[in-house]
This record gives sequence, structure tokens and C-alpha cells, in this order.
Amino acid sequence: MALSTGTRANGGAATVAQRLQKELMDIMTHPTPGITAFPDDENMTRWTATIDGPANTPYASLVFKLSMEFGATYPYAPPTVLFKTPIYHPNVDMSGRICLDILKDKWSAVFNIGTVLLSLQSLLGEPNNASPLNGQAAELWDKDPAEYQRLVLARHKTPEELDAGGL
Amino acid sequence: MDHATHVFASVFPVPSLSHTTPTPVATPDLGYTAPDVSFGSPFTQNAGGAQQRAAKRLVAWSTATRFLSLHESHGRSLRRSREVDGALHYLLVGEGKSQDGEAREEEGLVEWYTNEARIHFAGSVRPGLRELWEKEIKLRDAWDLLEKMQRMLEQIQALYIQPFNDHILPFLHEDASSITIRASRDVQAVEAELVEGAKAKFARDIHAAFAHSLPRKRFSKTLSYILYDAGCRLFRFYNRHDGVETPSTPEPTRAVRERMTNLLSSLERVGLGGDNAQKAFAHAMNKLLDTFISSHYLKVDWYSKKPVVPDLKSWIENGFVPLVELVMECLRCNDGEVQPMQLKAWQEMGLVRLGRARVEELFNFVIYWDRSLGAILDLKEYLKLNGAKEHLRASFSRQVSSRLLHPGATTTYILNVYISIIRAFHRLEPKGVLLQSVARPIRRYLKEREDTARIIISSLLIDVDDENSGKFTSSGDLSYEIASEMSKPFAHSEAADDEFNWNDMDWQPLPHDASPEYKKSKVEDVIYFLLTLWDREDFINELKNILGDHLLRCQDLEYQKEIRLLELIKIRLGEDKLQACEVMLRDVLESRRINDTIRTAAMASTPHNQNPHTPEGRGARTPQPHRPTTSAPSHHILSTPRHKPTSNEPTLNAQILSSFFWPILRDDEFRVPAQIESLQKAYESRFERIKGMRKLRWMNALGDSTITLEFEDRKEEFAGLTMWQVSVVYAFQPQPSEEWVGKGKGKSQGVTRNVEQLEEMLDMDEGLVRQALAFWVGKSVLRLTSPDTYTVIERLSSATTADDNAAAAASELAEVQAAQTTTVKSQADLLNERKDVYMSFVIGMLTNQGNLGVQRILMMMRMMVQGGFPFGPEEVRGLLGEMESTEKVVSLGGDVWGIKKM
Repeated sequence: MALSTGTRANGGAATVAQRLQKELMDIMTHPTPGITAFPDDENMTRWTATIDGPANTPYASLVFKLSMEFGATYPYAPPTVLFKTPIYHPNVDMSGRICLDILKDKWSAVFNIGTVLLSLQSLLGEPNNASPLNGQAAELWDKDPAEYQRLVLARHKTPEELDAGGL
Repeated sequence: MDHATHVFASVFPVPSLSHTTPTPVATPDLGYTAPDVSFGSPFTQNAGGAQQRAAKRLVAWSTATRFLSLHESHGRSLRRSREVDGALHYLLVGEGKSQDGEAREEEGLVEWYTNEARIHFAGSVRPGLRELWEKEIKLRDAWDLLEKMQRMLEQIQALYIQPFNDHILPFLHEDASSITIRASRDVQAVEAELVEGAKAKFARDIHAAFAHSLPRKRFSKTLSYILYDAGCRLFRFYNRHDGVETPSTPEPTRAVRERMTNLLSSLERVGLGGDNAQKAFAHAMNKLLDTFISSHYLKVDWYSKKPVVPDLKSWIENGFVPLVELVMECLRCNDGEVQPMQLKAWQEMGLVRLGRARVEELFNFVIYWDRSLGAILDLKEYLKLNGAKEHLRASFSRQVSSRLLHPGATTTYILNVYISIIRAFHRLEPKGVLLQSVARPIRRYLKEREDTARIIISSLLIDVDDENSGKFTSSGDLSYEIASEMSKPFAHSEAADDEFNWNDMDWQPLPHDASPEYKKSKVEDVIYFLLTLWDREDFINELKNILGDHLLRCQDLEYQKEIRLLELIKIRLGEDKLQACEVMLRDVLESRRINDTIRTAAMASTPHNQNPHTPEGRGARTPQPHRPTTSAPSHHILSTPRHKPTSNEPTLNAQILSSFFWPILRDDEFRVPAQIESLQKAYESRFERIKGMRKLRWMNALGDSTITLEFEDRKEEFAGLTMWQVSVVYAFQPQPSEEWVGKGKGKSQGVTRNVEQLEEMLDMDEGLVRQALAFWVGKSVLRLTSPDTYTVIERLSSATTADDNAAAAASELAEVQAAQTTTVKSQADLLNERKDVYMSFVIGMLTNQGNLGVQRILMMMRMMVQGGFPFGPEEVRGLLGEMESTEKVVSLGGDVWGIKKM
């Protein structure tokens, strides 16, 4: 590994693909339970990730798929992350867009795929109700957990259902 | 008839004695007076003329038949009496002659005689014949039997024919001349014709009777055997089909020939020739041809390597055909001459038989190539015939699959046989179409074997002229054939394209069974076929591994063979793919130069200050690394140093390897002896100076070294050691802190360490430590004193038998282990080592991409795994299978896999 580190430090022109390949390798050698991610094809810029809903939250035992897209400036610019699985959540809108500071202005080059996915996982259990994309959800989160839970389950689809839906 | 009767009869002929007397002689029937005719007049004959004639004829008949009767043959030698003469004349020539015309109510005398002969034959000869044939006929009696039978028949024939000739023919003759008296044609000839016709008819009738009396099948079988036997003897066959032993002294062929011709012509004389005999002869011929081929030509001429086909052809022309002609002549065949067309057909027949027999053994011929050249050339001749190719192909494929392509055959063996096949078939059919089709299953099978590529490449790198070449022929992993093929000069194909070389007088069209797009490869040698077994990529991967290993072990500093091999492969596979290999080769060559530069620099600037501890000062024994090898990478450089024994001081040579291009190498980490470490440091700093700050990473496990050990009573030098062996033995050097212990215990007591201590001191894996310890025990340097504890054998005299035994056992163990240690990590090691990572790759892939097929998984792995995924679908399936057993994934059938749902 001495080789690859050296090259990157020297060149500075390491391509996005190389960085992503390294990240993939890291994820594979040190897998985090409940989180996986894998590139869609050989050019590595589009990934699909899967996170399990955290226990003791309305999302427990649900599985969510996300798409990640990395631009040419990654890691200096954040990836575009979308929920592919329909989700009922204060900070996620109906088309899966996410409102999370580290994916916007708080992004830093030290973040990587693993940390982004971990943040998203914890966002499920601790929504930021101050700046909701889904106002109803933000309201219900505190007021009516039972109704909230029902809406979450109503909106959720398993990966199989998603596939069947032609996604 | 008793004698008395005979006597009586000779005086008073008694007609009733024989059936040949149809009516009494005494009362001639004079006929009746017709109505209105005066009674009793002797002149009234016109009405009774017929009756008169009949009566007269009856009398004559009676006389004649009585005379000719075969039952009274005793008296037949008698001359004809006048009476008989008259009767015969009357019956055959005169009025009594039976009419051939419309009304044949009267029996002719000739017919009667024929019948008589038949009846006689049936009554008195046939039982004898039947008896002759009833018994089982022994082969050795066959000749006698036939001869005996023939004699018997001939005798009886004479018996029948003689009276015919004597008593009937003259009258027929007379008759004929009387009829033809006015004929305008040549009277004599017509006469003769008529008489001959009658004679032949009689003979034919008798022969028919003979033939019918014999068991036809058995007769023709026996005859056929006789002919076969005669043929065998004439041509001096051994190894006959009938199991008759060949007499050791050759019989005079002339006698055999005479006996045969005599028998045949006499059989012909008694009417047993003809179609039947010809059929029997045809059988015999057929068998003769077979026997001849199996006894004379199935032997392969291993020494002069000549084909036998020309001999076979000339035998058929000059030996077989004359025999056939002779026999045909004896049997009086219509056309006794063998036509040229027939000769050709027979030669072809012979060739087919030879070819078929050869094809059955083709596999053996291939194995014994090129001593079996003669047989192969025979087959080449055979291949010109119709259908021969298909037969050869089918038969050979069967032989190959039953004798070669099974798990019991080692890969080396298969490769060697394949090479022989290439060579033999090249000779058989230079265009290579046949080779291509028979080799297909072998190639497919070889591809499946894991060790094929390794064996081929290692064999290519072997030096045939090496003194210890005997050693590697016995070892199973290298093919001497390949190695010797490699050492042949490389034949460049001069002609750009044979098909367009108009001046090529030996040009041959492609065989008809070549596919339209068939193109003969230009490069012809065996290596070509071996190198094209795989896809380029796979082959090059394997080549990289083996070449890497080989380069690191290679003692030839010029690397001539390696350079040659690489050039050779470049020609076959194209240069672009072999970049890595070229870099590897350049690395080792470059390293020499760098070593020289660095050493010269070191000599000039810092003489004699590299080694802080001189061996003399170190006590009883000193490991003295001469050529410890370590390797080190910089950004892209590894190095393997070597030491040159210049003085007592250790020296170090490095091999600098560009890690990016080399296969993954062993990089066990452990501490090397301090002296070497300091050398490495010095080397490193110089290298950095020369190469512009590039860093070295030492790969200690790859080094090799030569050391001298000094004991109290001896001094031993060891060469070709691995670095961990050196490090371990160096660890038995008394440490400065414990030096007093060694002194206190007395000189003969060696230093003692246990495995755990060593592991700690050297930072080395337990496996390596133990391996090295076993090696040193094997060399009688260390002794196992208590479990896991080893002591230096300081004095050999103190060595016990137990030491010797232990040493022997340990050295065996060490050898086995050494054989398993390679510098390059094997595929299987790699797979095992990184299995977890690969598995999480698969899981990640299947979780996020859904269910995937093995091919897709493989493709993704190849692209995504950093450092490459040098495995194939088999390994992927293996991984998936393992994961399935731990319930992580599930097979969805059709090679498609998915994540197992909880």
C-alpha cells in the first residue's frame, strides 16, 4: 500500500475513480454492519448503497436503497445522494432528495462514502425537525408517534417491490 | 450272387438275375393279327412292325444292359461278344436308338447307364464317403482326408467312365458319323463335338452325383483350409490365425506347392473344382491376406523407421497374385489372368487391413514417436483411401479419451503425449487439419488442468544441457519434451504466405475436410501449440508469476534463457501484453548495474567500517552472511540484495524490483541480523542518492545468502540459505548481555533458545521459525534438547546417534517444506488470504445490485478489486458455494446468485 499512498501524495492528479476504488476497498476490508455500497458499473461514478433502519426507531428492520453520484471534483465536492426507496421522513422529500448539512455546505474532503452513509443512518433516528422538507412528518414526529410509524410503513417498499415496480 | 449261380448263369443266361432284364428273352411277342388280316402269315408284318421292333429292342436292351450292368462288374473285363455288340449297335446306332424327338417313352441306353452309375454310386460308394466325412476332421488330417477322398472318387470315376468309353462311345461315334455324313461342314469336328458332348454330359452327371454326396459346407471349409494352409506354408507365415504352430525349420515350399497343385487339379478332375472350390479359395485368400499382414507387416520397423506399405504392395503383386493365378489355373477358371484393376483393388484391400490394424495401435505409435515413424508413414499411405480419415479420427479420439484424458495421467505426461501427437500428426498430414481435430479434446482437457500453464512455463525455462537434467526427468512437474523443444533453434517462417508462393513445386491443396476458413498457422513448432492453449491474458498472468519466481532464483546473471523466452513469447502473443514481464526482466538486469555502482562507491568512500562487530570478537561461531537477499520497494521499486563474499565482512547485493509490475511476492516480516540491517541501511542511502530519493522496501523473505558458521571444533559454509534461516541461526549468537553465561557454563555448552524466545527476538512467524529450526537440526547445527527448545551443537563429537536420526528426519522435513516455499504467492494462497475481502465484495455487490450471474460478478470483481482479481469463474463459484454454506447467499439457479433473506 506504500505504493498507492505515495503516488497520490505526489501526483495530486489522482482520478476520482482511483479514490473511489480505494474507498470501495476500505469498505470491503472493514465492513460496517447495516451499511453496504457498491458501484453500478465500471466507471465507478454511480453507486448504489443499502442501509438498514436503526433499531428503536420507526425505521427499525426496514431496508433503504440509495443512489450516490460522484462528480469530477469529488472529494472536494459532495456526492449527490438520493433515497431510491420511498421514505417518510422530515428531511427527505417525496422524490427522495435529502436535506443534510454535510451533503451541502458542511461537506469536507475528509468525509467518504462510509461516513456519509453512517450520517444518513443516524439521521433516520434523529431527524432535524428545524428545517423540514416534509412538514407533516416533522409535526407528527413529536405529536403522534403511532401515526408517524403507520405512515412510515405505508410509504415504505422493500427492494423487491421496488424492482417489481420497474425502478 | 454266389459262385454257383455265376457258373450257371454263364452257361444259361438267366435274365431274372438282374433287374436289367425287363422282359423274358424266351417269348418274343410277335404281335397280334389285326382284324381283317389273314392270320399267321409271316409277311403280315406291317401291322406288327412296331411290336416287332419293341420286342427286338427289348432283347437288345436286355443284352446290353446286362453287359453294362455295374453290379456284375466282375465280369466286365470281358470283351464284347458279338451278341452284345449287336445289341449295342442296335440300341445306339440302329433302329433301337431312342428318339430324341417328341416321344421319349423309351429310355436311351446312355441315360440308363448314367442312372446305373448313379445308383451304383449311391449304393456302394456313398456310405464310405459319408463315413469319411462324418467324423470330425482334424486340421492336420485335412490334407490326407481330401486326398483320400479324391483318390476314392477318381477310382470310382474310372470305373464308371471306362465302360462308357469302351462300349458306348464307339457306337456314338459311329452314329454321329452316319448322321453327319452329308454335312457340308468339317465332318470330323462335328462328329467329335457330338461325341464329346455326350461324354461331357456323362461326366457332368457323375460329378453332380459326387458333389451331392458330400457335405457341401464342410467340404468347402476343408478345402478353404487346405488352401490357406498351403498359402501359409508357401509364404512362411508365423502367427497364423488357426493356431497351428509354425515348424521351426521351413518346409520346402516346392513340395507344398506341388502337393497343392496336384490335389487341386485332381479335385478338379473328379468334378470338385468349379464354383465351389473357387468360393473356398476366395475365403482362403481373404484369410491369407489377413494373416500375411498380421504376421509380416504388423511389426513396426523401429530401427530403420521405414514404412511397410511398399513391401506389402510388392508382395501382393509378386507373391499373392501368382499364387492366385496358380490356383485358378488348377481349378481351370475361365480367366486365370489377374487383371491390373484387380491387382490394384487387392493392394488397396491389403492397405485397408494394414491401416485398420495400425490405427488401432496409433496411440502407442504416438507414444513411441519417433521410433514409430515407419508405422506413421504406413498410415499416411492409408489416409489416401476413402473413409480412412474419418476412421482414424474416430478411433484415435477414442484411444485418447480412454488412455490419456483421465485423472490418472499427470499433466506432464499429457503434455508430453500431446507434443508427440503434434509431431506425429504433423508428419501424417502436414496441413494440420487432422491434428486440429484430434487435438481439440486434449487441448480442452489441458486447459482444465490447473498446473498446465505452470508446467509449460517452468519447463520452457529449464536448461536441458544442465548436468542434473536427469533429475528433472524424474520429477513430475517438468516436461523434458518441452524443454528440449525450447532449446531448438527458433525457426522463423521465411515464406510470408505459402498459398501465394507460385514457385512452390510441392504445393498441395488443403484436404477436403478442412473448413473453409481454415488457415494453417504459419508458425509450426510445438511451442506454438502449447502457448495458444489459453487466452492471452490468463497465460500472461501465469507467466508473470512463474517468471518472477524464476528470475529471483536464477543464478545465471546474464539471464539469457529468460530473455530468449520472453522474445519467443512476444512473437507469439504480441509485445503489448508483455510489458510487465519486460519490466521484470529489465529490473533484474538493472539491479546488477546498480549493485556494481553502489559497491564501487561504498569501497571508495567508507572502507571497512560497515561491520561493527568482527566475527572474531563475537565468540565461538559467527554467522557470516555473504549474500543475504532482501528486497525493498521504493515508490515502485523492490530490491533483492545479494552479498558477495569479498572478505570476512558481509557484503550485500540487492535486486531492485518494480513492485507495480511484479506479481505479489512473499513479504513475511522479521528482523534480520544487525550486520545485515546496517548494510541494508547503507545500501538504501546510496540508492537514494543515485536514484533521486526513491525509497526501498526490503523484502527479507526473498533473500538468499551464504554464511560461514564457526563452531568450537569446525567451520562450515552454507550457501543458498533463505534469510529467515540465517536470522534464526544468528539468533543463537550469544547476546552481549548473556555472554557471561556462555563463558560460565564452559565452552562445549552451546547457546540454548526456545521457539517462543526466537519468535520474540526476531518478530517472526512461528511457522517460519520452526521451519528454519528444522533446517538447522537437519544440518546438525542445532539439537532439540527439550520440547520447543534448541541448543547449538558446539562439538560434533558430542553428537549422538539420536542427533543423527533427528537430523535425518528434520532434513527430510525441511526439504519438503522448502519445496512448498515459493517466492511468489500462489493463486490459492492469495485466494485464501483475501477470501474475507472478496466475500464482502460479493455481498456488497449482491445487496446493492440485486441478483447477479457468476459472469457478471466475476467481471465486477475484476474491475473493482484493487490489485486485480486474478481468478476465474470457478473460484467465484467456490466462494459463492462457501458463502451459501454459511447462509449468506443463495443460488437462484442458472448460475445466478442473490442475498439470502433473513
